[in-house]
Amino acid sequence: MRDVYHDELDDIGKGVIEMTNLVAVAMERATQALLDANLALAESVMEADKRIDTLRTSLEDRTFQLIAQQQPVATDLRVLISTIHLTADLERMGDLADHVARIARLRFPESAVPEEARDVISQMGQVASSLVTKVAEVVDGRDIALANEIEAEDDSMDALRRKLFTLVLSPNWGRGTEAAIDMTLLGRYYERYADHAVAVARHTIFIVTGKRPER
Amino acid sequence: MAKRIEAKNLNIYYGKFLAVSDVNFTIQPRSVTAFIGPSGCGKSTVLRTLNRMHEVIAGATVEGDVLLDGDNIYGNGVDPVEVRRTIGMVFQRPNPFPTMSIYDNVVAGLKLGGGRMSKSEMDNVVETSLRSANLWDEVRNRLDKPGSGLSGGQQQRLCIARAIAVKPQVLLMDEPCSALDPISTLAIEDLIQELKSDYTIVIVTHNMQQAARVSERTAFFNLAGIGKPGQMVEIDDTDKIFSNPSDKRTEDYISGRFG
Repeated sequence: MRDVYHDELDDIGKGVIEMTNLVAVAMERATQALLDANLALAESVMEADKRIDTLRTSLEDRTFQLIAQQQPVATDLRVLISTIHLTADLERMGDLADHVARIARLRFPESAVPEEARDVISQMGQVASSLVTKVAEVVDGRDIALANEIEAEDDSMDALRRKLFTLVLSPNWGRGTEAAIDMTLLGRYYERYADHAVAVARHTIFIVTGKRPER
Repeated sequence: MAKRIEAKNLNIYYGKFLAVSDVNFTIQPRSVTAFIGPSGCGKSTVLRTLNRMHEVIAGATVEGDVLLDGDNIYGNGVDPVEVRRTIGMVFQRPNPFPTMSIYDNVVAGLKLGGGRMSKSEMDNVVETSLRSANLWDEVRNRLDKPGSGLSGGQQQRLCIARAIAVKPQVLLMDEPCSALDPISTLAIEDLIQELKSDYTIVIVTHNMQQAARVSERTAFFNLAGIGKPGQMVEIDDTDKIFSNPSDKRTEDYISGRFG
């Protein structure tokens, strides 16, 4: 019985890693679809988000089962309670990638991103991608030193978002209200995506150390 | 009336075999401490040295000191029977005297003590002890019936009433719920919480959830290896032991990763 429990616990851990990889791919492809005005790619992101949602529900159900049946304690208990939290963050990251893809689809066949914002949006995509790659390593290897780097990278995302704001609020903005709203929303989506990535790293620190990281 | 217990450099033997080595701890008055660990690790043996019950086994000896509020219960001239009166014990299987009435069971220890008491004083002790053991309402109309007619959970509470009738300062419990159903177990656990305000309680349990529920401090005992003596791995706040223990061996045991 106890072996089955430990196998299931490992398996839930693998499911979390899979979810992390899925939300990483989702945001990479959403950014690509946005910059290239690629409708098929945008729709594939939206389709793939269903898999992320299903995975979250299944991981949550299995976590409930283990808590009810096995009375986990110590690290095991931290893994399971944290799983409930971090799968919620990961699911939300998937949703945000889906939102980015939806903006790409909405503006198709035009590109949603005007020329002067391309650079910032493209950088936001790169930071998101680099962040989530590190998060995947943290979750997989429970490397808490790396978790601290993630916080620093999140700061650069916030800086990019401010840059995007400055662009839209400048008197020289000549792309109209619709594009301004798109840019504001996109800035928000990327920034939130990075925040949830930080939260996932924090939950992993808690799993490893048993202490909540300082904010 | 509750007292502090300190174990200092305890080595416990069965004949020449060192069963438990070098145990040291301090247990504060009016607290519940749980001893957990695999079978054969010596936790019951340690418990039994705390009221000199260990030495009733032929060849069994103890080295080291057990201090009760600073007084060594293994000191010269200390009467073991007096120690056992001060430090009461409740065992795994309820063991009321089967032919005695409920009433006589409760006062059995008092009568053995030889003190003379009036009927009304005795009535008073019986009611107080049974109330403390949460059994009074269930047996008040059948005090003259045999103790063996009670359910297992009631019998165990009767044994607790018998143990506290002599007003001990410490209560030792050796797996008091392992022969009981979940409802009786919860009744005993509630009782432990109430008794804590008057007694220092040490409980040996195989049920880790029980240790987590009822105790403030938990000591984990383990065997260093086959044929080697048992040892106390660590003692810490129960919250800490079950959420983030300091010693890897404790974590492995409580998470069910043995061997």
